[in-house]
Amino acid sequence: MAKVQVLNVSVLDNPSPFGNPFQFEITFECMEDLPEDLEWKIIYVGSAESEEYDQVLDSVLVGPVPAGRHMFVFQADAPNTGLIPESDAVGVTVVLITCTYRGQEFIRIGYYVNNEYTDPELRENPPVKPNYTQLQRNILASNPRVTRFHINWEATMEKMEDSENVDPAPNAMLPPTSMPGKAPPLGLMPDNSMDCL
Amino acid sequence: DKLTRPWLPVSKPIFSVDIHPDGTKFATGGQGEDSGKVVIWNMAPVLREEDERNENIPKLLCQMDNHLACVNCVRWSNNGLYLASGGDDKLVMVWKRAAFIGPSAVFGSSSKLANVEQWRCVMILRNHTGDVMDVAWSPHDVWLASCSVDNTIVIWNARKFPEIVMTLKGHTGLVKGLTWDPVGKYIASQADDRSLKVWRTMDWQLETNITKPFSECGGTTHVLRLSWSPDGQYLVSAHAMNNSGPTAQIIERDGWKTNMDFVGHRKAVTVVKFNPKIFKKKQKNGSTPKPSCPYCCCAVGSKDRSLSVWLTSLKRPLVVIHDLFDKSIMDITWTLNGLGLLVCSMDGTVAFLDFSQDELGDPLNEEEKNAIHQNIYGKSLAITMESQLSSTIIENPEMLKYQQERQVNQNPNEAQGIGPESQTPKLTNVLNGESLEDIRKNLLNKQVETRTADGRRRITPLCIAQLDTGDFSPALFNSVPILPGSSASTQLTPQISSDSSTANSLGLRPSHDPTTTSPNKTAEENKDSATAAVNSIGMKSNLLLTSASKIEPMKALDSRFTERSKATPGVTSVPLTIGITPLDRVKDCSSVKEPKGKDETSSDSEDKIMVKSMAKRKGEMEGAEVVEKRKKGRPRKDAKMMPISQPFPQVTFLLSKDAWTSKSMDGVSTDGVTYLEVENEVSVVSGSRLSQLKWSREGREWDALLPSRIIIAAGSNDVVAVACEDRTLSVFTACGRRLIPSIILPAPMSALHCSRHFVMALTASATLSVWDVQKQTALVKNESLNPILSGTDATVSQSFLTQQGVAVVSLSNGKTYCFNSSLETWNLIADKQDSLVQCTDFRNCVSAQDALGSMGPLALTQGRNLSAGRLASRLSSTPHHLQQGMTLAFLEKQLSSALVLLSASEYRHWLLIYARFLVNEGYELRLRELCQDLLGPVHKSSSSSWEPTVLGLRKRDLLTEVLPVIGQNLRFQRLFTEYQDQLELLRLK
Repeated sequence: MAKVQVLNVSVLDNPSPFGNPFQFEITFECMEDLPEDLEWKIIYVGSAESEEYDQVLDSVLVGPVPAGRHMFVFQADAPNTGLIPESDAVGVTVVLITCTYRGQEFIRIGYYVNNEYTDPELRENPPVKPNYTQLQRNILASNPRVTRFHINWEATMEKMEDSENVDPAPNAMLPPTSMPGKAPPLGLMPDNSMDCL
Repeated sequence: DKLTRPWLPVSKPIFSVDIHPDGTKFATGGQGEDSGKVVIWNMAPVLREEDERNENIPKLLCQMDNHLACVNCVRWSNNGLYLASGGDDKLVMVWKRAAFIGPSAVFGSSSKLANVEQWRCVMILRNHTGDVMDVAWSPHDVWLASCSVDNTIVIWNARKFPEIVMTLKGHTGLVKGLTWDPVGKYIASQADDRSLKVWRTMDWQLETNITKPFSECGGTTHVLRLSWSPDGQYLVSAHAMNNSGPTAQIIERDGWKTNMDFVGHRKAVTVVKFNPKIFKKKQKNGSTPKPSCPYCCCAVGSKDRSLSVWLTSLKRPLVVIHDLFDKSIMDITWTLNGLGLLVCSMDGTVAFLDFSQDELGDPLNEEEKNAIHQNIYGKSLAITMESQLSSTIIENPEMLKYQQERQVNQNPNEAQGIGPESQTPKLTNVLNGESLEDIRKNLLNKQVETRTADGRRRITPLCIAQLDTGDFSPALFNSVPILPGSSASTQLTPQISSDSSTANSLGLRPSHDPTTTSPNKTAEENKDSATAAVNSIGMKSNLLLTSASKIEPMKALDSRFTERSKATPGVTSVPLTIGITPLDRVKDCSSVKEPKGKDETSSDSEDKIMVKSMAKRKGEMEGAEVVEKRKKGRPRKDAKMMPISQPFPQVTFLLSKDAWTSKSMDGVSTDGVTYLEVENEVSVVSGSRLSQLKWSREGREWDALLPSRIIIAAGSNDVVAVACEDRTLSVFTACGRRLIPSIILPAPMSALHCSRHFVMALTASATLSVWDVQKQTALVKNESLNPILSGTDATVSQSFLTQQGVAVVSLSNGKTYCFNSSLETWNLIADKQDSLVQCTDFRNCVSAQDALGSMGPLALTQGRNLSAGRLASRLSSTPHHLQQGMTLAFLEKQLSSALVLLSASEYRHWLLIYARFLVNEGYELRLRELCQDLLGPVHKSSSSSWEPTVLGLRKRDLLTEVLPVIGQNLRFQRLFTEYQDQLELLRLK
C-alpha cells in the first residue's frame, strides 16, 4: 500500500500570464513517518511530439514527513521559452507534477495547459514568432489526471530500485487489462490509471 | 416479499456484504481493478425507489482501494463506529469514519466517484501469513476475530489494537468462517479440514470439535460462513453433507448435538446468516392471543445460486429463490429490524429482499430478547445495553440539557448542524487564531524552505493534522484554489465554518509564524467573497469549454500522463540531508522543554529519605539500610547491608523536603536540599564521648551535641529526630531547639521517620510508636507488630509515615499494613500477591486527568501502577460477572484504604473511579448508597451522626463531582435528577 496519498492539488494563480511562476498547493497524507524526503518535480511538456522538449521546471525535496497530513506550495519558474518549439508555444500542452520516493516515481499528476493570446487581435492573427508577454497560461485545474505506480517503500532490495530506472514497459500506457485476482508485480504496471475518460 | 436488485455498477466479484447497525448504509468487499475494494453504499436508494431515482441522493458513499488484493470479508462493529475488512493481502484493516461530514471528490477522479463520506484506515492488523477469509466482532466489540488460510484464527483486542489476545490453532485446513456466540461464551469456526470447532472465550481452548457432518465434504467453497442464532441456542454450519446431499448442519448448544439440518440446496452451502431478531407469531386481530414459542429466522445461500429463508418454527423453508444470480452466493446480511436482507454474489451483484411482518412474525424488542437470554443463561449478557439506552426516554429537561451538553462536548464536529451560535466558540478555538483558510493564504510565504548541502531546495511541509488523532478527514479540501482577491469560492463557502471547526479538533500544529488573525474576520471575508467567487466559477466553466474543444486532438499528450518518466538526469539520487528546519526546532524545543523542566524540579526535589533499619529482633530481621528515593512516586530500594552493632563514625543524611508535604506533591517544590550530618565521637569530654548532629539547608545551619552515639536520624520540614545508642530519642525543631526531653525507648531504635510534626519510631522489639510532637500527644503507643508478623517469616522491609501521621509498614512478603489509630487495629492496605488486584479491570473508568490524583501514600505502597488490569486484558476471558465482582471488591478496598491512610487526594481519585465503575456496570443500589452518604440529611437534625466532610473534603462537593458521572448513563437519570435536585435545594438554603 502506498505510504503517501495525494489528497489534493490546488492550482494557484491560474489563469496567469505565461511568465508567471507555476504554483501548486499540494496536500498529501502519509501513513507513517518517512525516513527519507519526498522529491517533487514539475515538468513542462514543451511539445506533444517529443519528450525531448520536456523541461523540469524545478525539483524540490519535501521533508521531514512524519505520519499525518501535510501541505506545501510548490512554486517553480515559468518554462524557458527558448527551449519550446515555436510552433508549439500556442495551444494545448501538459504540465506534470511527479513525486518520487527513494528515486521511484509513485504518482504522476498531469494537467492540460492551454496557452492563448488574450487579445482578440493576436488570437485572430498569431505572430509567427510567439509573443510570450501576451500569452496567457490557463491550467485546466478541474481535470487532473492522476496515475499511481506501485513502488517499493522500504529501504531494502537494491534490485527494485534498479528496475525503476528502466524504461516503462511498452504496454504500460494501455489501460490495465483486467488482472485476474492478484496485484501486478510491483513496480512494473501502473496500479491505477484513473479517469481516462 | 419483494426482491430488488440494486444498481451496483460493479462487474467484479463481491465477496462480502454487511449492513451498518444503524441501517443507513452497507459495505461491500471484493475485487477492484487491480486491488481489493471496499465500498460503502447508501441504503436509502435500495429501500425506496423514489430515493433511487433522486439524483441528489448519493448511492455510493465511499470507496477504499487500500487492500492490495481481493477483500473477502467486511464487518461493521456492533457499535457501528468501525468497519473491519480482511483480504487476500493477509491484512485486516479497521476503518473509522472521519468526523467531518461533507462530500469531496477523490483527487483525480471524476465527480461521479466522489466520496460522500470519509472512511479511513485507522489500523492495519498484520499477523496472518495467508489470505484472511472472515472477520467477526465479538458482542460488545471487545474482540475482533479473523481467520485465514494459514489455518489459524487470531483474536485481536479490539480496545487496544493491534494487541493479539490469542491465536487459536487446531484447524488443519483453511479456516473460512467465524461466528461469535451472542452470549459471548464461545466462538465457532469452520474450515476446509472438514471440521467445525467451538472455542471457549474463557480460556480460548477447544470446547468441541464437530466432524461427522462434514466427513463427506470436499474443500470446494470459497467461504464457509456459519452463523449463531440470536438466542444462542443453535449454531448453523455452512457446507455440510447428509446422505451425499449438501446441507447446512444445525448444532444445538445443549450438548453440541447434530440431529437436524437444512436440506434442499443442490450445491454446497456457502453462507448461513441468522436474522438478528427473535420473532413470535403475528397475532391476528380479534383472535385470542395464543401463547407461542419464539422462533428464529435464518437465510441460507449456496453455490447453486439460490437462497432459502427458514423459520425455526417451520419444517419447510419460508421462501426459496432460485437462480438469483449468475454465480455463487457469497454473503448475506440482515437489516437490524430483521425485515430486509442483502445478498451478494461472485457475479458482482447484490440483491435486496424485503419481507413483511406478516411473513416473518412480530420481532421481539430488545427487552424481550434480553429476558430470553436471562432465562436461558441467567445473567443478561448486557453490560450496558446501548441499544436499550438509546430507546430510553429522557424524562426531564435537566437530564436532557446535560445529555446535550455532553454530546456537544463529545462531538464538536458533528455539532455544526445545531445552529450558528454553536459555531462561534469553535471559530475562536482555531489554533493560533489561524483558520485553515488563513494558513492556506499565506502558506507560500510562511513555509520553511531551506537548501540542502548540495544546494537543492527543501521544503518542510506544514503538518495540518496528525495521523493518530484518527478524527480528521480528507474532505477538508476540494480542488478549488484560492483565487487572488477572494478567499473562497462557492464550493468552499458552505464548508468554511466546518473547516475551521475541524481544524481545531485536529490538533492543528502551530505554524512557525505565530501571527494571529482574527477568526471572526475570516468569516466575514468569506461571506464577502462569495459573490466574487461566483464570477470566477462562471469564468472557469467558460475556459473549460474552450479548452475542451481543443483537447480532442491532443491524444499524443495523453500517454504523458501515465508514462513514468525516465530518470531525469541530475535528480535521480536523493541526497539524504536531514537538516533541521526551523519548524523542526520549534517542535523539538516545545516537546523537550516541558519534560525537561519537570525533570529539573523533580530531581531538585527528589526526596531521599534515609532509613536506618537496625532490626535485631531475634536475629530474624536483617539490619539493612534502606535508601529510599522517591521519584515521581515510584519507590526504589537500594538495600545495603550494614552491621548493626557499630555505630557509624560519620554519616551524612540527605534530607530534602518532607516526602508528603503538599508542595512536593504538586511538583513545584523549590526548596533546597537539607543535609543532616551525624558525626559520632567528635570529642571526648571527661570520659564520655560526644556525638554531633549538623543540620544545614540553603546556607542556614545548626548543630547539636548529644552524649551518646547516634544510630539513626530523621527529619521533616518541621522537626528533626535522632535516636542514640543509649535508647534515647531526641526531637528538635527545624531551628535546632530541643522540643522534648529525651524520650526513653523500650528497645533500640530500628526505624525512625518524621513527617511534618509527626515522629514514628519502630523499635528492635517490634513495637511501633507515633507521636505528634506539636500537640505532644501519642497517636500510637508502643503498639506491637506481632499481629502482622506472627505466623510468617516475613520481616519489615520498609516503613514510612504519611503526612497525616499514619504509620505504614511493609513486610517482605509483599503485604503492607497501616496502623489505624482510631480503631487501634492493623489494617492491610496492599498485597502484591492479591489476585483481586491482578484481575481487576477498571481502565475504562480511569480518565486521563486522574493520573495526577493518584499520587499519595496508597500509591506508594502499591507501586502506583499496581499492575492492576495488566493481567486483566489477558484474563478478560474470565467470565464478566466474576471480573466485575473482583473489580468492585478491589475498588472498594482502595477507597477504604485511602480513608484509613487519611489520604484525601487518593480518596477522591478512587471515589471517582469507583463511581464510574458503578455507573458502567449498573450497580444502582451501591450508587444510591454512595450518593446518600455524600449528600447526608437535607434537613438538619440533631440526632444525625452524619459528618459533612471526609478527610477534609466536603462530601457534597464530592457529590457534585460524582453526579455528572452518573448522568452519563441514562439508565440512572432518576437517580441523577433526585440528587441534583437535592443538592440544588441545599445550595439555595
